[in-house]
Amino acid sequence: MKPDNFEQKLQRQPLRQIPGEWREEILVAADVNRRNRPVREFTFAATTFRRLLSTLNHQLSTLLWPHPKAWAGLAAIWILIFAVDFSLRDKTPVMAEKSAPPSPEVIVELRQQQRMLAELIGPRDEHDADRSKSFVPQPRSERAEIVAV
Amino acid sequence: MRGPDLRRLYDEHAQALYAFLLNLTRDEADTRDLLQDIFIKLARDPELLDGVRDERAFLIRLAHNAAIDLTRRRSTRDKTRDRFAAEIISPFASAGDPDEQTFRAALAGALAELPPEQRAVVHLKLWEGLTFEEIAHTLDIPANTAASRYRYGLDKLREQLRPIYEEL
Repeated sequence: MKPDNFEQKLQRQPLRQIPGEWREEILVAADVNRRNRPVREFTFAATTFRRLLSTLNHQLSTLLWPHPKAWAGLAAIWILIFAVDFSLRDKTPVMAEKSAPPSPEVIVELRQQQRMLAELIGPRDEHDADRSKSFVPQPRSERAEIVAV
Repeated sequence: MRGPDLRRLYDEHAQALYAFLLNLTRDEADTRDLLQDIFIKLARDPELLDGVRDERAFLIRLAHNAAIDLTRRRSTRDKTRDRFAAEIISPFASAGDPDEQTFRAALAGALAELPPEQRAVVHLKLWEGLTFEEIAHTLDIPANTAASRYRYGLDKLREQLRPIYEEL
């Protein structure tokens, strides 16, 4: 549909120009809002963290307030225990690493000793086992009769 | 994410948005506020233009929605102020020729009398050069509705401007 003369006349009317000073004002306002976004997010995170710390502090204060020195002493003892435990735990593998492997003579000697020990222990085990099998508990009534006699 | 190039968007679309908003609001301060709101929205939400094929149409839709929201928020007293402002603020440039100036002032007055939905369609058809399909897509209305709104609006303008137009 082609526009008639009246429509063409309207189309030719020039529109008002946007004020030039608006450009910088609007773009600066937009830039400020763009920059503020991460700052706001950071502020929100920081505030939340601070609130969490404050709550934790309050709860701990309530719990420890009656005897703060006693709790502090207990905490110090625990820290000392942990420190000693860690220091001992650290030395064990170092000592194992540092000790030299036993010589072949020592190994032969150790094996001999083990064999002798096994021979000594072996018969006692068998005797104990036999004794445990031969034991038959007597009824209580019979035991009572023995005591009466 | 870096976001849209606001300076480029401003240079390419701000003039069209300004004229459209001024025609709808008839208030330069409101037009400035709405235009600034649009650019702040774009700055805050860089993903807003992701996947948008026609930036102009998208921005005009934002402007239209913002202007309609503003109109709805206004009280009766503000509407009276709008009518008063319509006598002063014209969306057209000043003309050197007195006859042309008279015609432009009368056209601005006649446009102000149109309902906002007809005014928006008339503006987009006459001064943005959009087709009815494009207007329909931009304003999220059926193409037939866009065509009928334009026809009604143009008829009213013709009726009001006939005496001056025939004189020229």
